[in-house]
Amino acid sequence: MQAGQCWQCESPAENNLFCKFCNSLQRPLTDYYAFFGLEHKLNIDNEDLQRRFYQLSKLLHPDRYTRRAQRERDYSLEATAILNDGYRVLRDPVKRAEYILAEQGFEVGEQRAKDVPPELLEEVFELNMALEELVSGASSVRPQLEEARSRFRAMRREADERLGDLYKLWDASGERDSLVAVRGELNRRKYIENLITEVEKALSA
Amino acid sequence: MAYSDKVLDHYNNPRNVGSLDKGASNVGTGIVGAPECGDVMKLQVQVNPATGIIEEAKFKTFGCGSAIASSSLATEWLKGKTVDQALEIKNTDIVNELSLPPVKIHCSVLAEDAIKAAIQDYKQKAGVPVEAAVQQA
Repeated sequence: MQAGQCWQCESPAENNLFCKFCNSLQRPLTDYYAFFGLEHKLNIDNEDLQRRFYQLSKLLHPDRYTRRAQRERDYSLEATAILNDGYRVLRDPVKRAEYILAEQGFEVGEQRAKDVPPELLEEVFELNMALEELVSGASSVRPQLEEARSRFRAMRREADERLGDLYKLWDASGERDSLVAVRGELNRRKYIENLITEVEKALSA
Repeated sequence: MAYSDKVLDHYNNPRNVGSLDKGASNVGTGIVGAPECGDVMKLQVQVNPATGIIEEAKFKTFGCGSAIASSSLATEWLKGKTVDQALEIKNTDIVNELSLPPVKIHCSVLAEDAIKAAIQDYKQKAGVPVEAAVQQA
């Protein structure tokens, strides 16, 4: 069998999940967007994604392949794993953006300090200091902590809104600069998330 | 994952926690962060302008034990060094001293970046030409 051919009947497979001619299951595509038949966009329609997920779940369920060729049984297992991982990533706007960034060659995991704007670090540092003072204070600071939590949550909402706008920008232009901005905002959001975790820890203590 | 005794020692008794006057002309401040783990680290040096020797070093780190220990150790090492000697501190020195496991090496990188950022800030303030090596590559 050559690449791009159905393993069973050797007709052109054209990256379809099933061969158009003999209907046998093909080796699944590993790219999540391609697997779900979606364009590589940062904004996606979550309802459409969910529909695709349910539809593919039915088509690919390993139970349907128990009487089929070993190869199809293997492919259905592989495809189901990609389906679940892909759905988990694509339905989450942050994970989805990280996926696109990684695909576009951005190093998401290990970033050096140069990638983080100093103003953001200063802001995060000050917020952490303020939070620490609240937590270590002798008197009851519950109201202030709750106030801080709602402020951080508002900051997260703002970050999400900015991300949504940046997503639109990249989807429309495909320019790398807009992805740089996406990564910056994702970093900021990550710090805000940490602050929320910290303040919630303090509130539940 | 178990922390080494040295990490625990620095974590439980961090040296030189605090801050120096950011506005002073002989104080250099570096704030660095690692978005993937959400750590943020501030490191400051106070330099004697006549001798170029670091007389005081302070840090404050919000992050894991290894990040705190790395920056605590860095401030210990910085005191008494000249600014140029300070730039020779490598993250691998910190890794070796604290026996950091591979997953925590980025904490030592953060500390090295913080030293460089603080020295660079001092040099800019003091009007010392900043060599290419000092600028964060």
